[in-house]
Amino acid sequence: MGADFKAGLIFEYFIKLLPFIKISLIIVGSSILVGLGVGLLIALPRMYKVPIFQRVSQIYVSFFRGTPILIQLFLIYYGVPELLKLVEVDVSRIDVLYFVILTYGLHSAAFISEGIRASVSAVDRGQIEAAYSVGMDGYQAFKRIIAPQAFAIWIPILGNLLIGTLKDTSLAFTLGVMELTGQSQTLGLLNRHFIESYLALALVYFILSVFLEKGFILLENRFGKYERTSVEKKEKTFKIRNLFGKMNRDVVVVKEGTRL
Amino acid sequence: MITLTNVTKSFGKNHVLKGIDLTVNKGEVVAILGPSGSGKTTLLRCINYLEKPNKGKISIDDFNVDFSQASKNEILSLRQKTAMVFQQFNLFKNKTVVENVMEGLIVAKKWSKEAAYKKSAELLEKVGLGNKLESYPLQLSGGQQQRVGIARALALNPEVILFDEPTSALDPELVGEVLAIIRKIAKEGITMIIVTHEMAFARDVANHVVFMDGGIIVEEGDPKALFQSPKEERTIQFLKRFSEEDMYYI
Amino acid sequence: MKLDFSFIWKAFIQILPAMPTTLFITFLSVLIGFVIGTFTAIVRIYKVPILSQAASSYVTIIRGTPMITHLLIIYYSISMLLDSLAKHYHLSFNSSSIPMTAFAIISFSITAGAYLSEVVRAGITNIDRGQIEAAYSVGMTTTQALRRIVFPQAFAVSLPNLSNTFIGMLHGSTLAFIVSVVDINAKAQIVASTNWKYFEAYIAAALIFWGITLVIERMTSLLEKRFSVFSRGGVK
Repeated sequence: MGADFKAGLIFEYFIKLLPFIKISLIIVGSSILVGLGVGLLIALPRMYKVPIFQRVSQIYVSFFRGTPILIQLFLIYYGVPELLKLVEVDVSRIDVLYFVILTYGLHSAAFISEGIRASVSAVDRGQIEAAYSVGMDGYQAFKRIIAPQAFAIWIPILGNLLIGTLKDTSLAFTLGVMELTGQSQTLGLLNRHFIESYLALALVYFILSVFLEKGFILLENRFGKYERTSVEKKEKTFKIRNLFGKMNRDVVVVKEGTRL
Repeated sequence: MITLTNVTKSFGKNHVLKGIDLTVNKGEVVAILGPSGSGKTTLLRCINYLEKPNKGKISIDDFNVDFSQASKNEILSLRQKTAMVFQQFNLFKNKTVVENVMEGLIVAKKWSKEAAYKKSAELLEKVGLGNKLESYPLQLSGGQQQRVGIARALALNPEVILFDEPTSALDPELVGEVLAIIRKIAKEGITMIIVTHEMAFARDVANHVVFMDGGIIVEEGDPKALFQSPKEERTIQFLKRFSEEDMYYI
Repeated sequence: MKLDFSFIWKAFIQILPAMPTTLFITFLSVLIGFVIGTFTAIVRIYKVPILSQAASSYVTIIRGTPMITHLLIIYYSISMLLDSLAKHYHLSFNSSSIPMTAFAIISFSITAGAYLSEVVRAGITNIDRGQIEAAYSVGMTTTQALRRIVFPQAFAVSLPNLSNTFIGMLHGSTLAFIVSVVDINAKAQIVASTNWKYFEAYIAAALIFWGITLVIERMTSLLEKRFSVFSRGGVK
């Protein structure tokens, strides 16, 4: 299984991986942007209970949360061009990167939409009643009172999602995207020092995760200064984290204990 | 003058309000008393349409609304003519104390920020919180939060202020300061409807007392008369629970 | 190339035989992970010196790195270790005698262990301290208190998170194809490439996973209803 273990190589590989952080972050950033846009679109019909679209949203969310990201990557990259050929659209020359961003975008959109719904319904009902009782209409109440508070609740959720998506991008190499994982495989193959290169890879991801976490804690503090005490908040965030650091179901954050 | 006619409300099979008729004159302080489940809070919340009555009408001077077919604009107007002080205070968490009082003025009454600030600061001074303008609600005690809530209601200069058990969520030692403020503004001639468990307070401050039980008004009238010589059996039973010692207003 | 709907069904049939593999890997990993996780959680809660710091590091590192890195590192490390041991002691077996599935299960268990540790920790620490104190005051030992009062409540509260983690591991098991395990994902790839019908094959695979996920969600909500009777005041 290759040459002997050389610990010093880990550092060397680490340096060689650093330039590839950029592409991984580009994927994460673009995907989240796509996810925000699509996620908002998906969330609205469910929040306002629009008849047919509500169902469509539910199915969308269920599908993208109910199937593995790897399958989604293959499905969209290999499958969608086939579908489009039927309507005479040729996408064979579009770069793989766009497919990857599209897939991660659609995937995260499902989680983002649930996050938006959870955050809005987690706002204390009394706040809404007070807003109405001072004479605000629905739109004003939402803009001035509900949205800011929902946003503060949403930040840790977004943070989890971001870290989760970062970890998910480690699968993009299966479609041939030369990002961190792909590069570490190349490095390993060069001298058969696989363990060192994958340890370096893990280190890179770990440091990125830590950075993102700390960054979000700062954001939480800035935006949520009027929210509950930090002890309660830690518990809320705590329960949101799961396997891919993403929010699947959130019985705890939503006060009524409803499922998403 | 505020008139409620035949206000009816059911939650599923539970008939909470069975046709309430009530008249409140301008400047009156009306206290609504009754056991839990009597419907008194629901009645109050129907007035500013936080609960949707199944049937009934309300008129505030010339403004009339039929609850069963209230339009969005009518509901908005109703809410702009009334103001509520909540049991759980419900101060806007993301706004400072003074901003809380200013919200309604800026958004509903379309005042300028400067004018709203001036009026709000005055009112907060009046309720004894002049030094807490820039604090956030979570930094205040329950009694302080409720006083802000009262200032917020006062700022709107409404036709009537609705108090939903304003002191029920407070620690005993904080109840007094809030009751004192309510007393003060009662003397200024503002129309108030107060749902409360504070019997002695109701007897002292209200001009008119309403006793509700099981979704109807059992008895109403002058506070001294009602407390001293209640006519209905249910009223007698209810008042028996509060002996003269408890009636001692601290 | 027309969309072959009938092929979706055919692909479905061809991929299905791989389902036991996926489920086997998932179940075993979650089970072992649960044991690891519970042990880790308890060590952290009781702040056992040295062990609890090690446990915390384990949890933080695993949760801060992608699952594929765990798989790759475990696979190559164990292989290398075994091979050098085999060479040294002239053993008859080496890394190639171990079935690939085992590598997948070992790695996924380690991943699952870290996430489940947090779930177990949350479940236990969120039990009101008063419950434990009351248990002591009626004369229970710690073990009895844990078994009769703490764990049942912790279980009920943790159900949604346990279910989430299970589903996460189910989806994550698709990584097994990297170590040549023929799970649903790998089978789908084979079916797709041999028939040149990618969309149909992957849709079939997606539907299988979706189906399993929905079944688990349904079972979880039924379990939740049954176990949470106490938190709703006995209203069934």
